[in-house]
Amino acid sequence: MIPDMLGFMRHTNTTESLHESLRSGRLVSVFGTKGGEHKLSIHYVVDAGASGYQFFQFAVDRPVTSITPITPAAAWYEREVHDQYGIEILGHPDLRPLVLHENWPEGVHPMVTAVGSVPWASGLYPFLEVLGDGVCEVAVGPVHAGIIEPGHFRFSVMGDRVIHLELRHFYTHKGTEKLFEQSPVARGTLIAESVSGDNCFAHAVAYCQAVEKAFGVQVPPRAAAIRLVGIELERMLAHVADVGALCGDVGFTVPAAYASRIKEDLLRVSAACVGTRYWRGIATPGGVNRDLLSAAASSLAAAVERASGEFASLARKVLNTASVQNRFEGAGVLLPNVARDLAVVGVVARASGIALDVRRDHPYGAYTEHVPDLPVFHYGDVLARARVRIEEAVVSAQLITKIAANLPSGPTCSAVDFEKDAQGFSAVESPRGELLYWVSCRRGQIARCHIKSPSFQNWPALPFAVADNVIADFPLINKSFNLSYSGCDR
Amino acid sequence: MIFDVVHQSLQARQRLIPVQALLGDAKGSRLPEVSGRSLNPQLAERAVEVCPTSALTLHHIPGGHVQLRMDYGECIGCGHCAEAAPSAFHVTETFTRCGVTRGGLVRRWDTTTGLEISPEPGCDPAELAREIRSLIGRALNIRQLDAGSCNGCEAEITALTNPYYDLERFGIHFVASPKHADMLLVTGPVTRNMAEAVRQTFEATCAPKVVVAVGACGCSGGIFAGSYAVVGAVDAVLPVDGYIPGCPPTPAMLMTGILEVLRRWKQKMRTGQAEEHRPVRVSSSQLLVKARL
Repeated sequence: MIPDMLGFMRHTNTTESLHESLRSGRLVSVFGTKGGEHKLSIHYVVDAGASGYQFFQFAVDRPVTSITPITPAAAWYEREVHDQYGIEILGHPDLRPLVLHENWPEGVHPMVTAVGSVPWASGLYPFLEVLGDGVCEVAVGPVHAGIIEPGHFRFSVMGDRVIHLELRHFYTHKGTEKLFEQSPVARGTLIAESVSGDNCFAHAVAYCQAVEKAFGVQVPPRAAAIRLVGIELERMLAHVADVGALCGDVGFTVPAAYASRIKEDLLRVSAACVGTRYWRGIATPGGVNRDLLSAAASSLAAAVERASGEFASLARKVLNTASVQNRFEGAGVLLPNVARDLAVVGVVARASGIALDVRRDHPYGAYTEHVPDLPVFHYGDVLARARVRIEEAVVSAQLITKIAANLPSGPTCSAVDFEKDAQGFSAVESPRGELLYWVSCRRGQIARCHIKSPSFQNWPALPFAVADNVIADFPLINKSFNLSYSGCDR
Repeated sequence: MIFDVVHQSLQARQRLIPVQALLGDAKGSRLPEVSGRSLNPQLAERAVEVCPTSALTLHHIPGGHVQLRMDYGECIGCGHCAEAAPSAFHVTETFTRCGVTRGGLVRRWDTTTGLEISPEPGCDPAELAREIRSLIGRALNIRQLDAGSCNGCEAEITALTNPYYDLERFGIHFVASPKHADMLLVTGPVTRNMAEAVRQTFEATCAPKVVVAVGACGCSGGIFAGSYAVVGAVDAVLPVDGYIPGCPPTPAMLMTGILEVLRRWKQKMRTGQAEEHRPVRVSSSQLLVKARL
């Protein structure tokens, strides 16, 4: 049914085969699991292109050799596994705590031990120090100046120029992966929707698809089409809002307000058509909870078409404005080799010359029939990321109008029996990039759910784009990445 | 060119929603309303069974009656109750329990008679609309504080500044520093990693430090209640003056809630009930975290 099913079956579990796969493929995720009698395993997911996603599982009976020296993209993943499971990683260049802050006592690993009440500890986080005459440190966050999520940025600057930026995140860490464990499979959708609020529908669909794959459920075509409409609408909302916010960050407030109005138009039409502004509660394992009736579908399509027209014309004029070009062009360049090393995904990858999109590479749901065009730009700067967003929003609008006008007839949900033990995974192209859910279910409950969020993958690339820019451009560069803190911290 | 952008914007139709239509509106919030008349013990039981949080619970009271308790602070608007028992639960389009006390978010029904038990009233949108100028005076400065939210509430709070809602028309501004703020709008469950920063932000805020807990997570911990990485709802750390439920609350609900909190705050001031000294709920010794801010 889905081409990468074959890849999922193939467990070629030797270190050599993993290294071989990493040489030609792209690292997608690394995560731990706990089996019976506290037996730990470490899993690696690699995107091997045409042969699909490959999974490698190793039992952890001795310290694990780090793959970070050969695949830098694994750095945060291995730190996370180290924090969550206490798995020893040999040869990792930087094993400082990532998820658990100084308030956590040493030796407490929430995914292995029962953590009822953990005593509060104190300590200092050793930031990387840049030494030398005239080097200053600027600390920003976790509470930021605006309506933004919390995270800490530690800049080492020489004058205005940023020499080094260190990220300290996971302030919004909510123990989400642990929360999934022992919760009924159906409830999992609600947790998935709260991982990253502005991408809630992509998260819900990714979770549902993983469950459907585990239990071998076929989603009715009508439900798959409605999901596509929701995912593309979410992408459009994100991109319209981001382009507006980028304008706001360079002091161009008129298009910022205009874009926020276009976004609100779409949110209001969503509320009228499906009863929810952000498509929460629509996706469910087996299909969708709510049908998109033809009157609603056509009013949605009409609103999307109007919004897309207005946005495209606005964006064209914005990009023709000299002051915008001056700020966007050449700011925050992410070089293609860095992007490749850190295995970045989504808009950030496509703006640095990497043609990568789950919808095209590993089509799922209704994308098996509707493959979107893939805008790719090569300069890797703020302008390139803005352009990718602008073009993608227009492509999404075209997809929505095309699908909403001819929704296949039939039921909107298949029945799922959650009782048997099963494992499954699914990848979705969320507005921020590749989003992967891996679930393992036992007796109707979730035994383990791992979320590979695009933000977790892309955050480590931000410092490379910021280095050598003036510190005043940081908000702009950060906005052009627009990564989710909650999605990363989970 | 700059002028082209401005020209296109000027041609656009005005979208501003009049304040009367805004306050009390909850379209798209997915919050449920109970139709007491059609409520019976079976329907109540069915709804309680499917509720993913403990927003809906049953309570046996002496005399053999069973009460249905609806805590909007815990409701994440999943709509399961309305699917399981559509005759007694439906998604509401108006909602007035915004900016009320924590107790004001709770309603109770006798499942046999279907009567609501001593309901606490919500806010009165018409009165708020009439009083809006006197409530705000010249300006209200709000500092939004994310204590660990999923960013759903942030998206809706950002929407308050768009041309539909345009909060600035009332003299309400979002400010960058807690030192400039009259009100903290706190979203999310307070995570372990944010608890100390939340406490310090509150301490940096000037009196009167009006605190509003936003969203299901802010009101009760929501879907994240009980997680190892979460300390609890906002009121586990800070003294809270008003609660705005919803997952996420719509911009109209936020607007209504902010005004209702102000109204109740003014009333407290008038009757001399406002506390002079408002300490944080959790002292630093309890949070032995060396802050690295």
